[in-house]
Amino acid sequence: MRNHDRLSAIGYRLSARRSTAYSWLLILPPLALTAFFSIYPFIVAVDASTHRILLTRPKKQPYIGLDNFREVLRVAEFRDAAVNTAVFAAMTVPAVTLLGLGVALLLNQRLPGFGLLRWIVLLPWAIPLVGAGTMWRLLLHGNTGALNGLLLELGIIDEYITWLSRPTLAMVAVTMAHLWREFPLAAILFLAGRQAIASELYDVARIDGAGAFALFRDITLPLLRPTLLIVLVYETVVSMSVFDLLYVLTGGGPGSATTVLAWYTYATTFKFYNLGQGAALSLLMAAAILVVIVLYTYILPAKEERR
Amino acid sequence: MARQDVTRFVGSGLGGALTRRDVLRGGAALGLGATAFRGRRAAAQDPIQLDFMSWSYSVETIQDNIAKFQALNPGITVNYTDFPWFDYPDVMAARFLGDNAPDVAYNSDHWLTQWADADWVVPLDDNCPNLMAYAADFAPYAIQGMTYDGKLYGLPYYADLVVFFHNAAMAEQAGFSTAPQTWDEVRDQAQAMKEKGIVEYPVNIPLAKADPWTIEFFYSMVYSEGGHFFDESNEPVFNQAGGPAEKVLQWLHDAINTWKIMNPAALEVVEPDVVKSLVAGQSASTVLAKYNLAAVNTTDGAHKGKFKLALMPGSTHETTGFVRFYTLTRHAVDRGAEALDAACKFLDYNGGKTDGVYVVQKRWAIEKGLGFAVLPLYDDPEVAASIASWGDVALEREQATKARIKEGLTAWWGTWDVFAREQIHNAVSGSTAPAEALKAMADKWTELRGYYGG
Repeated sequence: MRNHDRLSAIGYRLSARRSTAYSWLLILPPLALTAFFSIYPFIVAVDASTHRILLTRPKKQPYIGLDNFREVLRVAEFRDAAVNTAVFAAMTVPAVTLLGLGVALLLNQRLPGFGLLRWIVLLPWAIPLVGAGTMWRLLLHGNTGALNGLLLELGIIDEYITWLSRPTLAMVAVTMAHLWREFPLAAILFLAGRQAIASELYDVARIDGAGAFALFRDITLPLLRPTLLIVLVYETVVSMSVFDLLYVLTGGGPGSATTVLAWYTYATTFKFYNLGQGAALSLLMAAAILVVIVLYTYILPAKEERR
Repeated sequence: MARQDVTRFVGSGLGGALTRRDVLRGGAALGLGATAFRGRRAAAQDPIQLDFMSWSYSVETIQDNIAKFQALNPGITVNYTDFPWFDYPDVMAARFLGDNAPDVAYNSDHWLTQWADADWVVPLDDNCPNLMAYAADFAPYAIQGMTYDGKLYGLPYYADLVVFFHNAAMAEQAGFSTAPQTWDEVRDQAQAMKEKGIVEYPVNIPLAKADPWTIEFFYSMVYSEGGHFFDESNEPVFNQAGGPAEKVLQWLHDAINTWKIMNPAALEVVEPDVVKSLVAGQSASTVLAKYNLAAVNTTDGAHKGKFKLALMPGSTHETTGFVRFYTLTRHAVDRGAEALDAACKFLDYNGGKTDGVYVVQKRWAIEKGLGFAVLPLYDDPEVAASIASWGDVALEREQATKARIKEGLTAWWGTWDVFAREQIHNAVSGSTAPAEALKAMADKWTELRGYYGG
C-alpha cells in the first residue's frame, strides 16, 4: 500500500509538472506577442525619452536623463494641450455616456422599426475616423459647409459660422463630431447591459407601486454599474487619446485651440522631429490615463449594489 | 559505347554519319550562339528605374514631361508618385527616415537646409557637375534658395514671387482707379466695396495652418513694410515691439474680426479656394503666388481678365521670392553610378536645356503662368506674349527687383515654420495678442537653435 501511495504521489507530481509545462507552452506564444508589441515598444520609448533624438540628425543621440521631461513640462504649449485635453474629456465623456444611456433606454422599447433602428444607430461608429473627420470638415467649412447652408435656409443664422476658424467654436465642433462618432458604442453597451437585467425585477417593483423614475434609480442604474464603469473607462481613454478625428478636422487648430496631448505628441515627434520629447510626452500621457482609470475603479466599484 | 559509336548514333538521326570534327564544330557553334544570345539579352536589359516624387500640381503635365523624357532616354523608366502639398514635407521626411526615398524629388527653399543638413539630399557640384553651368542663367534669389553651405542643390522647377493683385473693375466700381499702395489703402478700398454692396469680404488671403504657403504670405507682408525676421547672425528681430511683424498680425486680426473686410474663414482656406472665390467674384484682392494671376485671368467667367497686378502694398513694396526645384537624393547616389547618371539626366531634362532651350520651364511658364528662375526666358517672345495676356511684364520685373528670399533658412527653420504658423493663427484668431505670439515664435527659435547647435 505504501509503495502504491508513493507511486501515486510520484505520478501525481509528474502529471502536475507536465500540466504546468503544457500550460506554459500554450500561453508562451501570446505572451511573446504581447511582449513584442507592448513591452518592447514601452522599453524603447523609455529609452528614447532619456536621449536627445532629432530625426534630422539621427546619428547623434546623447543621453540627457530626464531633461526631455523637464523641457516638455516647462513650456506653455504642454500646459495648453493638457488643459485642452481635460476640457475635451470633461465635455465628451459625460455627453457620450448620457446620450448613449438615453438612446439605449429608448431602443429597449419594443416598438415597430426599433430593431432596424438599432442597426442604424451603429452606423457612425462603423465609419472610419478619418472618413468621419473629412465628412465633418466638409459639413462645417466656414465658406461652403452644408451645415451652415441648412441653418441659413432655416433662418437660424444670418451668415455662415466659421466653426473651424474660431478657437471656442472649433472645440465645440470637435466635441460634436466626437460625440456623434462615439455615442453608438455606448448605446449598444448600455442596451446589452439593460437587456441582461431580469424583467421580473421591474414587474415586482411595479407591483409595489414604483414609477418610471424609481425603476430607473433603484433597479436600472445600480445594475448597470459594471457597464457604466466600462463605458466611462473606455470613453475617457478614447477622449484623452483622440487623434485621428483632430488630425483631419482641425489639425490641432486654429492655432493651438484644439491641440490636445495626443496631437501635441504627434506634432512634437513628426513635425518638430523631436523623438526624445515625443517619447517623454507619450509616457506622460500613458501615466495620466492610468491614474484616471485607477480613480474610476475606486470611485465606481464594478460590483452592483443591491438594496 | 565507344566514342565513334556515339557519333554514328547521333549522325544516323541527322541524315548521315557525323565525324568527330562535325561534333566539335557543332559544339563551337552552339557555344557562340549562346554567347550571342546572352549579348542580345544584355542589349535588351531592363531599363534603369528612377523614382521621382512631387507634390500634386498639374500632375498630367508632369506625366507628359516624363513621357517625353523617356522617349528621349529609352534606357530610363521613371516611376512617379505625387502627394498633397500640405502633407509633402511630412511624407518626404518619413520616406527619408524609412530608407524609402526617391531618387529625384521636388524640393523648396523651405526645406533645403533641413534636408541637406540631414544628408537626405546631395549637391550637384559633387554629383552632377555638368549641370553647374546652368547657374549662370539663374536669378540671384533662385540661386540663394537652392544653395546650402556654398553648394547648389538642384535645378529649378519654377521660381516666382508672392504678389498682391486685385479686381480692378470692382475697385473702379467702388470709386478707386489706382491700386492701393499701403495696407491702410487696402482697408479703405475694401471697406468702400463692402459698404457699396459690391462684395461682402473683399480681401481673401489663405492662412491655413497646414499650408506651407502661409509663412510666405506672412513674410511678404512684413517685407512690404521694410521688416526683417532675422539679423545676419540669425537672431530673431521680428519680435521687436511695435515692429512690422506685430503690425501685420494686428492688421490681419482686425481685417477679419473688427473691420470684417476679410474672409472670416481665412484660417481654413487654401490657395485653390481663394482662386475659386476670386473667379466667382466673391473676393476682390489677395496675396498669392503670381502664377495664380494667370489662373484667375484666364478662367472663363464674369471676372475673366479683370485682375491686375500691383506692387505689394507697404512702405517699401518688398516681397518674398521663392524657388521650388528638382533635387537629387542621397538614395540616388547610394544606388550607384548608373542610377546617378540617370537621375542627373532627368534633372537636366526638367531643369536644364534640351536642344538649347529650357523646354520644361518654358512650358510651365506658358501653360500655367509659373514664374521661372532662368532669366533668358524673359527675352523669349512666346513667354513674353503669354505673360502679357494675363499679367504685366514690366510691373512683374519691377516687383522682382524688390524680392527677397525668406530670412533665417537654417537647419531648424522648417521646424520653426510649423510652430510659427500656429502662432500666426493664435494672433489672427485673437487667442493671443500679436506681441505674445511673436515672443513665443522667438522663444521657439532660440530653443531649436540650442538643439541644433546653431
